[in-house]
Amino acid sequence: MKKFLLAATVIGLAAVSSLALVACGGGASSAGGGKEGGTLNITYGSSPDYMDPQLSYTAEGWTAMGEVYIPLLTYKHASGTEGSEVVPGLAKEMPKISNGAKTYTLFLRPGLKYSNGKPVKASDFTYAVERLFKTNSGGSPFYTTIVGAEKFATTKKGGIPGIKTNDKTGEIAITLTKPRGTFTNELGLMFVAPVPAGTPNEDLSAHPPPGTGPYMITKSQPGRGWEYERNPYWAKDNAKAMPEYPSGHVDKAKVTVVRNKQTQINDVEQGKYDWMQNPIPPGSYHQVKDKYEGRQFRVESTISTYYFWMNTTIPPFNNLKVRQAVNYALDSAALERIYAGQIKGTQQILPPGMPGYQKFELYPHNIAKAKAMIKEVHPSHTSITVWTDSETENKEAGEYYEGVLKELGFNTKLKVINPDNYFTVIGNKSTPELDTGWSDWFEDYPHPNDFFQPMLAGESILRTNNGNFANIDEPALNKEIAQLGEEQLGPKQKTAYAALDKKFMKLAPWAPYGTRTLDTFVSSAINLEGVIFNPTFNQYLTSFEFK
Amino acid sequence: MDFDPQAEAQLSAGIPDPGFPPDPRGVSSEGRGPWFLAYRRFLRNRVAVAFLGVFVLIVIFVLAAPLWAEHVAQSGPNQTHTLEKITVNGKKREVVTPEGEPIGPQWFGAGGKFFLGADSRLGRDEMVRLMYGGRTSLLIGIGSALVTMVVGIVLGLLAGYFRGWIDTVIARTLDVLWSLPVFLVGLALGVSLAIGGLKLGPIELSGGSLWIPVLVITIFTVPYVARPIRGEVLALSEKEFVEAAIAQGASPLRVMFGEILPNLASTIIVFSTLTIANNMLFEAGLSFLGAGVQPPNSSWGTMITVGEELLNTQPLLAIIPGVMILLTVLSLNIVGDGLRDALDPRAKVRLEVHAGMVAPEGEAV
Repeated sequence: MKKFLLAATVIGLAAVSSLALVACGGGASSAGGGKEGGTLNITYGSSPDYMDPQLSYTAEGWTAMGEVYIPLLTYKHASGTEGSEVVPGLAKEMPKISNGAKTYTLFLRPGLKYSNGKPVKASDFTYAVERLFKTNSGGSPFYTTIVGAEKFATTKKGGIPGIKTNDKTGEIAITLTKPRGTFTNELGLMFVAPVPAGTPNEDLSAHPPPGTGPYMITKSQPGRGWEYERNPYWAKDNAKAMPEYPSGHVDKAKVTVVRNKQTQINDVEQGKYDWMQNPIPPGSYHQVKDKYEGRQFRVESTISTYYFWMNTTIPPFNNLKVRQAVNYALDSAALERIYAGQIKGTQQILPPGMPGYQKFELYPHNIAKAKAMIKEVHPSHTSITVWTDSETENKEAGEYYEGVLKELGFNTKLKVINPDNYFTVIGNKSTPELDTGWSDWFEDYPHPNDFFQPMLAGESILRTNNGNFANIDEPALNKEIAQLGEEQLGPKQKTAYAALDKKFMKLAPWAPYGTRTLDTFVSSAINLEGVIFNPTFNQYLTSFEFK
Repeated sequence: MDFDPQAEAQLSAGIPDPGFPPDPRGVSSEGRGPWFLAYRRFLRNRVAVAFLGVFVLIVIFVLAAPLWAEHVAQSGPNQTHTLEKITVNGKKREVVTPEGEPIGPQWFGAGGKFFLGADSRLGRDEMVRLMYGGRTSLLIGIGSALVTMVVGIVLGLLAGYFRGWIDTVIARTLDVLWSLPVFLVGLALGVSLAIGGLKLGPIELSGGSLWIPVLVITIFTVPYVARPIRGEVLALSEKEFVEAAIAQGASPLRVMFGEILPNLASTIIVFSTLTIANNMLFEAGLSFLGAGVQPPNSSWGTMITVGEELLNTQPLLAIIPGVMILLTVLSLNIVGDGLRDALDPRAKVRLEVHAGMVAPEGEAV
């Protein structure tokens, strides 16, 4: 479950001192025509949730650590669909899948070292998986299919028998309790990137552990920023072991958290920062786009769905007609304007670009029909609490949604929560009045199951860290999700996922309204063409180079 | 402030007040009561009277909100118009462009609709929100000032009159509140109460209730009233008229509320105006940071937050509510100063000290 955590709007308190260095050191030209070396000054709008590979579960965290912690498998360093391809990372080659698609065997590349000089061992993978469970990471559910993992998640003792490793040969054999069609994708997530054995089983955001990537984090101050330098063992060892992996162009990078987005824009324009990681806010979006598109600004497509969830277990949303009426009442054209054109209207769960996506529109905007449906149902419970986060555009989307519900005759109350803890609050079932609200979803990996299993399967309803905000638990559809999840993705499965999309939307647990575009905005010193925007990791640090 | 019989006798006898020149109109003060004299002194302060006029205009402006909304703008304060078009001087214009740019001020080009433009990409009428937002801001400012004054006066009276352990408990509690970083704690409290609401015995407040910011503001502003009041009560308790009342067998309650409180009247009046002004600023700050008035309702503070994002293209969205706050707070402060000069011309130092939020001179702590 990867949600996009935008910068908090506590504007006015942005007293973060800026690091006034536009360092573009000289050096040899790169293959892309840019210069090698220099210090990249980056600004983030907020700190990632964690600066710890096993714990981070936001786009910001994955972007920040994507080039520091390499998993056994990884995603191709490419933009668009090509970037969805899973390729070997620390593993020599793609896994050999045997035992009825239940055993995955991989071999670690020889000669790999961590940034502290220690050799990477096959057993470090086991350590990383165990650390994931011991720290109660949000990524744990991806790996509970490993034999013994479910028990380990509860007891935190006795090891995970489903993972067998051999430090001498580098062999890693993972046995699952049942086939899992998405497991290859999940081996490419940072949650299971090896870390040295003995790494403390606690949040290490202030002291990130050594990694294997081309860069290492030398300093981390949560809430303020962090710094990168080249991993001294990359050029010496790891780059030789994995020559296809990019080494990066800049020597250092310095990240400063600046909460005021307008300040960020001004600073990038003036060259104080070379890249603004978070998207341009809607208020300035078209100004920046018109001025810099093609040279310093680029619109990036994402595989994401923005939606309003409706709690199907409590009135009035336990009534199908009410949920369908809400879908009819929402006008995605209005929401497109609220997001200043940064979303494109959709009315389904799977977004464009996701395998299995087939466009349909079950609920064309019709407010009169929606009102008539509500009148027909005449719900007895009309008091509704609407939840959203305080990020400008999401807050406005929430306000718009609240207005629509009011128009349908409901008594509404809007609760606006800081984006830093929004999902924690609405994911906690003890939070009162969880009637309906806003959410988004960005793909963890390019597999349609990622849009059903974590958010719409009955087994994903949890007391805390709940991702199934609609609390929908349809046995027939649960079975279908589970069944499809065991199969490898092929044309037959893609068609089945498209049908599943429609089946869910007929039940209308959500009112989806759009898929989001993000952007890359860099200073005039950066070669924009070289910057890669990957669907999973967004911008790769190794792809930035000075002109 | 206490009513010094000698000074009052001087005033009643028409002896010019040393703080002010004699009445140029030559109206005699002979036989006039202290309130009339204060009223006349206030009228002589042209600046204070002018700003009282400004404040009255602001109050009229915000009270007229429903009339403007219904008859001119034809839109409620939270009504969205994202996809609507309006006719401006015979031409159709979109309230929000497809790029998400809200319409600017139309003045009377659209018959008063979107007089100050639309507030955001939601296309709400900025003028209507400004008027309703002003109601909210004033309501919270006045409401919290009222609660602050009542609680502050009671605590100040109890602490100053009884002294001993009661004074210690109250004064030290106020010290603790005084030592807290007001804005940060207010922000944290405001945010948490806005999410979960408040359940305290029979009192139940929902997260969006206006009583939440009133409560948060009150908690932190009570010391600024209670401490100086306590100081005054300490001084007044030593006066002969208090001793006389006690000697006549008056109960503590009667002494406090019947003898001492009337002597605090002018201080209370002056403090009230200043507290309203301070509390409005506090509310604006809390709302600006998302811990005060909750959306979709507006206050001038939340309107600045919304406008801040569009500062480059629609600067008026942030400037206008800012100017409204400025005018209201300025007018209240000047009226407060005028009242102080009129009611107690000898207490300048004491109240200037209060305005600076430090312990008043001569106060026993």
